[in-house]
Amino acid sequence: MAFLLRRLCFYLAAFVAAATINFFLPRLMPGDPVQIMFSSAGAELPPESLQALKLTFGFVDGPLWQQYLTYLGSIFSGDLGRSIKYFPLPVTTVLGNALVWTVGLMGTATIVSFALGTFLGILAAWRRGSLFDVIVSVGAIFATSVPAVVTSLIVVFTFGFTLGWFPTGYAADPALDPAFTFEYIGSVLYHGILPMLTLCAVLTGGFAVTMRNNMINLLGEDYIVMARAKGLSDTRVMIWYAARNALLPTVSSLAIAIGTVLGGSLVTEVVFNYPGLGNILYQAILARDYPVIQGQLLIMTATMLIANFIVDVSYVLLDPRLKRA
Amino acid sequence: MKTSSFPLIHNRKAMVGALIVAFILAVAIAAPLLTSYDPGARVGRPHQSPSLEHWLGTTRIGQDVFARLVYGARTSLAVGFGAGLLITIVGTALGIIAGYRGGKIDEVISFFTNMVLVVPNLPLLLVLAAFIGQASPWVIALILGCTSWAWGARVTRAETLSVKQKDYVKSAEMMGEPRWRIMTFEIFPNLISIVGINFIGSVIFAIITQATLEFLGLGDPKVVSWGTMLYGAQKASALSVGAWWDILTPCFALAFLGIGLSLLNFAVDEIANPRLRTGNRLGRWQSLIRSGEGRL
Amino acid sequence: MTAPLLSVKNLTIDYIGETDDFRAVDNVSFDVAPGEVFGLAGESGCGKSTIAFAISRLHKPPALIRKESAILLDGRNVLDLDQKGLADFRWREVAMVFQSAMNSLNPVLRIEQQFYDVLKTHKGMRRAAARDRTAEMLRLVDISPDRMRDYPHQFSGGMRQRIVIAICLALDPRLIVMDEPTTALDVVVQREILQRINELRRKLGFAVLFITHDLGLMVQFCDRIGIMLGGKLVEQGSADAIYRTPEHDYTKKLWASFPSLHGGVLR
Repeated sequence: MAFLLRRLCFYLAAFVAAATINFFLPRLMPGDPVQIMFSSAGAELPPESLQALKLTFGFVDGPLWQQYLTYLGSIFSGDLGRSIKYFPLPVTTVLGNALVWTVGLMGTATIVSFALGTFLGILAAWRRGSLFDVIVSVGAIFATSVPAVVTSLIVVFTFGFTLGWFPTGYAADPALDPAFTFEYIGSVLYHGILPMLTLCAVLTGGFAVTMRNNMINLLGEDYIVMARAKGLSDTRVMIWYAARNALLPTVSSLAIAIGTVLGGSLVTEVVFNYPGLGNILYQAILARDYPVIQGQLLIMTATMLIANFIVDVSYVLLDPRLKRA
Repeated sequence: MKTSSFPLIHNRKAMVGALIVAFILAVAIAAPLLTSYDPGARVGRPHQSPSLEHWLGTTRIGQDVFARLVYGARTSLAVGFGAGLLITIVGTALGIIAGYRGGKIDEVISFFTNMVLVVPNLPLLLVLAAFIGQASPWVIALILGCTSWAWGARVTRAETLSVKQKDYVKSAEMMGEPRWRIMTFEIFPNLISIVGINFIGSVIFAIITQATLEFLGLGDPKVVSWGTMLYGAQKASALSVGAWWDILTPCFALAFLGIGLSLLNFAVDEIANPRLRTGNRLGRWQSLIRSGEGRL
Repeated sequence: MTAPLLSVKNLTIDYIGETDDFRAVDNVSFDVAPGEVFGLAGESGCGKSTIAFAISRLHKPPALIRKESAILLDGRNVLDLDQKGLADFRWREVAMVFQSAMNSLNPVLRIEQQFYDVLKTHKGMRRAAARDRTAEMLRLVDISPDRMRDYPHQFSGGMRQRIVIAICLALDPRLIVMDEPTTALDVVVQREILQRINELRRKLGFAVLFITHDLGLMVQFCDRIGIMLGGKLVEQGSADAIYRTPEHDYTKKLWASFPSLHGGVLR
């Protein structure tokens, strides 16, 4: 499919753009870029390791373009350098472990919010002008205009500290060892409820309003009128004629929403001390662990691009006009 | 009732939203009148709960929370509106140019826009801010302006494409009006509602993101803003020690402002696109149906 | 004189605004005999489409059909039907062809699916039987049944219009309402479609309520014609009578607006 191939090329270009930003940032700041990048290392780093790190990040002798290519070479061979804070762990390891938690949290929250939000949006559009519609529309405004940071804090305050129903931090009970036991998995789920709840609160409203607006925009179309004229049941018209078509622009808005999801989950992880990418990034910033910070941008961009690609594929599957005839 | 020339007044959401924003603005401006405490100074014991002396209690280092709230409003609002303005200007300009000029210029701008759109916003800002160090609110506003214009540009471009086809644009072209004049005086005035929505949306985004960045420690902790209040409270583990006033004050302030702006935004959107209105305009129709005067 | 199939009596339809109303249809009465083609002519906004929608009760608020109105199909008042009766009545007794067939078909469902949902809802048909019936209908309008599983965007405009007509005939309705069915098509396709409708009508015996602004087309195609102006039915009669001996001023003006083949003075 030409469409998908074009998207892939575009995503590749975007990834390289992110890498380029990484490359230029330390060089654009006042001062010696090498100093800046590895300032947090202090004296603990053995000189060979420092040399290897410099090589990875392109701080070699030679013209700028050569440095750039060296850096790109490192990235595309999977070498993101080593973390300074967690030396000698490679950045990929540090981020890799965290990635699992973030994808789990973010992925589940996105799916749940999308399903719930879309469902609410369909009903709100179908029952336009009713109390339900007003509640959903206004409720969505409230939910989406409050920053994720604030929602997380309020949720953890109410359900965690005040009511004590749920734990206030960590991915699982710190006393347990990670294993595929019921106990551990149960603990994971239990600890995951509040962050999930927060993320869903942040995301559902947006999906609901998008779906509602998309539905309303096409409720005047001829094929909807014809469906009613055919004597089909209300439910059938609502689902197979209206919602099925409104789903297309909603799914494409999902792609944009993923950026918000990433941002939101980042903050939520910090508040709940969840060991995902967000928290790692937060700690890295505190420690000025630049290799991790830069690696973070690449991983997050890659996640975003992959998620976008999945949305593209879904779109092609959903819209028969895009499939080859 | 004919549609008034000032439709905003009749829209309840807009009124409530505008009132909220105006109220917060007034509080920010009147800050010195509302409190005699210096928001940055240590004026009381650490983590005092709300009392007559300190209406909203004190922070870990003994600052008056209420004073920080009202003075912090100034910074949060200023950065929010400033960054919002910058984002809107860049986005609108690029959108109109891309939409109107078309061709190669459009391709380049669109490609660039899509690229900026697809790189996740917050991680990028975090990396930028990490390198910059402790960013003052103005630096934050500037980097927000430079990275977050993409969505507005895309929407504006789409609208420009449809306005471009209109007769008055074509006639201006025929008359030989220079392109920059057409873009500024023919096309732009017809995009006002889109630009308005874009602006309010950008302000909301800027306020949220500024608070988030400061919460994560990338702002300048010496500055008083709602974001730095969150940062300070979190560092002091306000929740664990039970000093709820420390952390919840900026939370509710931000939520309140966000809701006010969103209501305004929703209302502007409904005016621009009347099909999306909620609420009932069918009062008369319903009474006629009920009285049996007619049916569907 | 056989009993009329469709009898519209004193139909008055208003659009209710917040302070005042707009009268779209003003006390319109006409009959359509079984198997006849009745045309409603008039310029845009004269109310003819509003009438078409009212027959299947497709209006949404703020439209309001005033209480004096009656729409009788075979003696039964359509306006009195309850939800279930209305759902049964739609498509079985009256089917509708809309102006732009490009938009009448659901873009995300296959053609056979758009036949199937009607056949299943009204006749409880199983898939196999539905497929047979679909093939039969498609053949009637000269579309290869092999294309049943295609999507609407894979057909041309004229073909889509024919598919819509085929779906209309699927339940063997007594009346087909056609709202400007050929306006969006070119003249050649227009003629083909109208000829086809005529053949089908003679074969299957349905009546047609034909709505258009093209008076010339109407006179060739319809048995009887009604002329609408500003929501009122100002004249009705046989096509021949309307053509040769128009009575109302407006009808005369409509004819006068046709340029004469022989040139000559504009009166």
